[in-house]
Amino acid sequence: MRFAHRLTLVPAVLLALAMFAVPVAFVFSEAVFTPEFSLAHFERFFSRAAYLSVYRNTLVVSAAVASICLAVGYPMALFIVGQPAGRRPLLLFLVLVPLWMSILVRTYAWMVVLGREGIVNGALQWLGLTDEPLTLMFTTGAVYVAMVQILLPIMVVTCYSAMTEIDPGLVRAARVCGASPFAAFRKVFLPLSLEGAVTGWSVIFILSMGFFIVPALVGGRRDVLLGNMIVNQVGQANWGFAGALAIVLLVSTIVLLGLVRLVAGRFLYSPREA
Amino acid sequence: MKGPTRRSLLAAAVVLPLVAGAAAAQDVEITYAGSGGGLAQVMDMLFDKPFAEATGIRVKALATTDRVSAMRAMMQAGNPIWDVAELTPVEYATASIEGWLEPMDWDVIDPKGLQPDEARLPDAGIAATYSTVLAQRTDKLPEGRKMASWADFWNVEAFPGPRALQDSVMENLEFALLADGVEAKDLYAVLATEDGVDRAFAKLDEIKPHVVAWWSAGAQPVQMLSDGEVAFTTAWNGRLTQLRQEGVPVETIWNGGAIKPSYVGILKGTRHKKEAEQYVAFMIGDPVRGAEFAKMVAYPSMVKGLYDNIDPEAGREMPTHPDNLAGQFVVDAVFWARNMDALQERWQEWMLD
Amino acid sequence: MRTRLVPTLLFALGVLFLFFPILIVAPMSFSGDRFLGFPPKSWGLVWYEAYFSDPVWLAATWRSLRVATLAGLIATLSGTAGVVGLARLPRRWRAGVTGLLLAPAIVPNVIVALGVFVLALRFGSTDSEATLMLAHAAIGLPFVVMIVGAAYRQTDPTLEKAARVFGAGPLRAFWTATVPPLAPAILAAFIFAFFVSFDELVIALFLMGGSETLPVRIWNDLRFEINPTIAAISTFFVVVTALAMGLAETLRIRATRRQGNS
Repeated sequence: MRFAHRLTLVPAVLLALAMFAVPVAFVFSEAVFTPEFSLAHFERFFSRAAYLSVYRNTLVVSAAVASICLAVGYPMALFIVGQPAGRRPLLLFLVLVPLWMSILVRTYAWMVVLGREGIVNGALQWLGLTDEPLTLMFTTGAVYVAMVQILLPIMVVTCYSAMTEIDPGLVRAARVCGASPFAAFRKVFLPLSLEGAVTGWSVIFILSMGFFIVPALVGGRRDVLLGNMIVNQVGQANWGFAGALAIVLLVSTIVLLGLVRLVAGRFLYSPREA
Repeated sequence: MKGPTRRSLLAAAVVLPLVAGAAAAQDVEITYAGSGGGLAQVMDMLFDKPFAEATGIRVKALATTDRVSAMRAMMQAGNPIWDVAELTPVEYATASIEGWLEPMDWDVIDPKGLQPDEARLPDAGIAATYSTVLAQRTDKLPEGRKMASWADFWNVEAFPGPRALQDSVMENLEFALLADGVEAKDLYAVLATEDGVDRAFAKLDEIKPHVVAWWSAGAQPVQMLSDGEVAFTTAWNGRLTQLRQEGVPVETIWNGGAIKPSYVGILKGTRHKKEAEQYVAFMIGDPVRGAEFAKMVAYPSMVKGLYDNIDPEAGREMPTHPDNLAGQFVVDAVFWARNMDALQERWQEWMLD
Repeated sequence: MRTRLVPTLLFALGVLFLFFPILIVAPMSFSGDRFLGFPPKSWGLVWYEAYFSDPVWLAATWRSLRVATLAGLIATLSGTAGVVGLARLPRRWRAGVTGLLLAPAIVPNVIVALGVFVLALRFGSTDSEATLMLAHAAIGLPFVVMIVGAAYRQTDPTLEKAARVFGAGPLRAFWTATVPPLAPAILAAFIFAFFVSFDELVIALFLMGGSETLPVRIWNDLRFEINPTIAAISTFFVVVTALAMGLAETLRIRATRRQGNS
C-alpha cells in the first residue's frame, strides 16, 4: 500500500521533469558552460552594483507585495469563512471575478486611474485636496497597487481553503472552556490557519519574483525587477546570462521560502505530522 | 552578367506558376515569421491571400517575438521552422553577422530593378520602414512656440511639460547627440568612440529629471499623449496619424527622426527557398500593392514609384516621403548589433542611478 | 450581529479595490472612439462587434479556453495525486521532490519558454496546442501542490484510517474519507491552474506563433495600438461569469426555499 501511494507521484513528477526540469536544465547549462565550465556570468552579476540593486529591489518588492496581500487577504478570507455556508461561494466569486480580466488590460486600466489627468487626480482636485496633479503613475507605488490587485485573489482563496479545513468545534470548545472570543481566535484558530497564510505568502512571493510586465508598464525607471532583466537578456539571445539570472532567482527564492517554513514551522500544527 | 539561359529559367520559375495556376505548387506552404496582431491581418489581405491565388503557395503567418533567440535555437537544432522572417534592424544585423540568412538572388526577386540599391542587401530585403519620431501635444505648448528639433526637446525652460522617452539605449543616444549639435551624418562615427558615448550619456543626464515615463510598448506613448500624461514623447510614426484623426492635437516632428527598416530575410537551410523568394518578390516588388499596404499601416516599403500611388496628403504622414526624409537619419543596424550588449548594460546602470 | 458592520465594510472595500480596473474598463468598452479614454467621448457597441465578427479573435479565445481547461485539469489531477504521494515519501526525499514540483512557479516563464522551445524544435512539436497545454500544466502544478498540500496537511488522517479499519480499500478510503474535505482546495487549485494558463503570455509567444492564444493576440495588438477591443473582451468575460454565478445563486436559493416549504 505504501508503494501504491507513492506511485501517485508519478504523473506530477513526469510532467515537471519533461516540461520543466529537462528544458530548463538546457538553459541553465548555458549559464555555466561557455563552452567550458565558467562562473563568468555569475561574476558579472555579483560584481555590478546595478544588478545587485535590481536583485535587492526584487526581493524587497516581492516580500512587501506578499505581506500587503496577507494583511488584506487574510481578514477577507476570515470574513468569508464567518458567513453562512450558503453565501460563501458568492463572496468567493466576487473575489475571483477580476481574474477574468487580462493582466495586460488591467495594467493599462491603472494608467487611466492613476494618470496626471486620471480619475484619482481628478477626484483629489475636485475635493480641493491638491492644486497640482500628483505624480502617481510610473512610481513604485503604482507597481505595488497593480501587483496587489492582481495577486490578492490568490491570497484570499488560499487562506480561505485552509480555513475551511479547521474544525469549528475546536473554536467552540475553547469558548465553552471560558476563552474570550479573541483568545479563542488567537490560541486556536490563528495557529490552525497559519498554514494557509504561510502558503499564500509563499505563493505570492514566488509569483512576484517573476513579474516583469507590470513594473515595465506602470513603474518608474528604477522599478526594474530581475524578471525584466531576464526577459531583456533572452530578447538579445544572451542565454548564458539569462540562465545565470534565473539560477540566482531560483536559489534565492528556495532559500528564502525554506527560511520562512523553518520559522513558521515552529508555530504550525498539522494533524498529519503529530 | 549572368547567362540568358539561367535568367530565362528563373523568370520562368516566377512566371510559370502564375500561368499554370494553382495546380503546380498546390501543396507547398511557407512559414512567415511576422508580428501578428492587426498588422498580420493587413498582410493576409494584401499579400498572403493574393499570393496564394496567384501561385498556389499558401503562407502561414506566425506572430513572433524574441526572434534572435528563436533563430539561434533553430540554427542549433538544424531545424529552421520559419522560411521567411520579418526582422528589426538589430535582429537582421545579428542574423546577418551569424550567417543565419540565405543569400538573396536579386535577379529573381527584383528583375525589374524596382528596389533602390540600398535596399538590395546581400541577404535581406526591406519590406517596410518606420520611424521613431518626436511628437508634441500642440495644446500644451507655450503661446506661439513649437518644437522643431531635439534641442527643443532638451530645452525645458522654453518648453515646460512632462516628457517621455523609450526605455531603450538604441536611438536615445542618437537623439541626445543630435540635441548636442552633432550632425546626423556623423552620429555613428561619434558613437563609435568612448568619448562620443560619454557625451551622449552626459546629454541624457540633463533631460533625465524631466522624463516622467520610459515606455516599453509601442502603444504606450500614443496612449500617454491621448491621456495628457505627457506633452512630448518619442513614438512610432504610424499611430500618431490615427491619433490626429481622432481629434487629439498631436504633431509629428520629422526632423531628427530615426528611420528603421523592417528587413525581410530567408532562413538558412529552408526547404522552400524558391517559394520564399517568390513571396518576398510578391511583397516588395509592386508599387501599387506597396502603396495599398502603406495606406493601411503608414509603414511604407522602399519600392520605386510608391508615392505616385499614394495621394500627397497621406504620403506626407510617411517616414520616407521626400518632404520628411531630409532631417531624419537611418539607424545603423550593424553598429547596434555589435555594441548592444555593452551599451545596454551601461543604459541599465544609468537608468537605475 | 453587533460588530458585523465594520468587517462587512472593510470586506466591501477590498472587493471594490479588486473591481476597480473593471469599473474603469467596462465603460471604456462601450466607447465609440478608436483609443482608450475615460470617460469615452462617444458610445457604441463597435468594439463588441469588432470582437464577435473577427474570426481571429474568436479562434484565439476558444483556443485559450481549451488549453486552459485541459492544462488546469492535468495540473489539478496530477498535482492532487502528487500531494498524497508526497506525504508518504521518506523525509529526505520529500524536500527534493517538493522542490521539483514547486520550481516551475519560481523560474520565470521566459526561461521555461526558451527551454521548451529548444526541446520542441528537436522533436518537431513546436506550434502545437498539446505542447503548450503540457507546458502550462507544468507551471500550474506548483499552485495545486501548494494549495491542496496546505489543505491536506490540515485534514485528519484518522478518518482515512477509520475507513480502512471498517474494511474500505486504500483507494476507496482515500476517495470517501480524504477527498471530500479537500474539495474546496482542489477546486481553488483548478481555478488558479486554469488562470495561470489562460493569462500566460510568454510561453505561448514562443510556442504558438501560428495560432495565437488570447493573451498573445492582445499582446500583438498592444505593441502598436490600444484599441477598446481588449476592453470589450475583458468586460464580456466578467459579465458572462457574473451571469453564470448569478444564475447558480438563484437556483440555489430557489432549491433551498423549496426544501423549506415542503
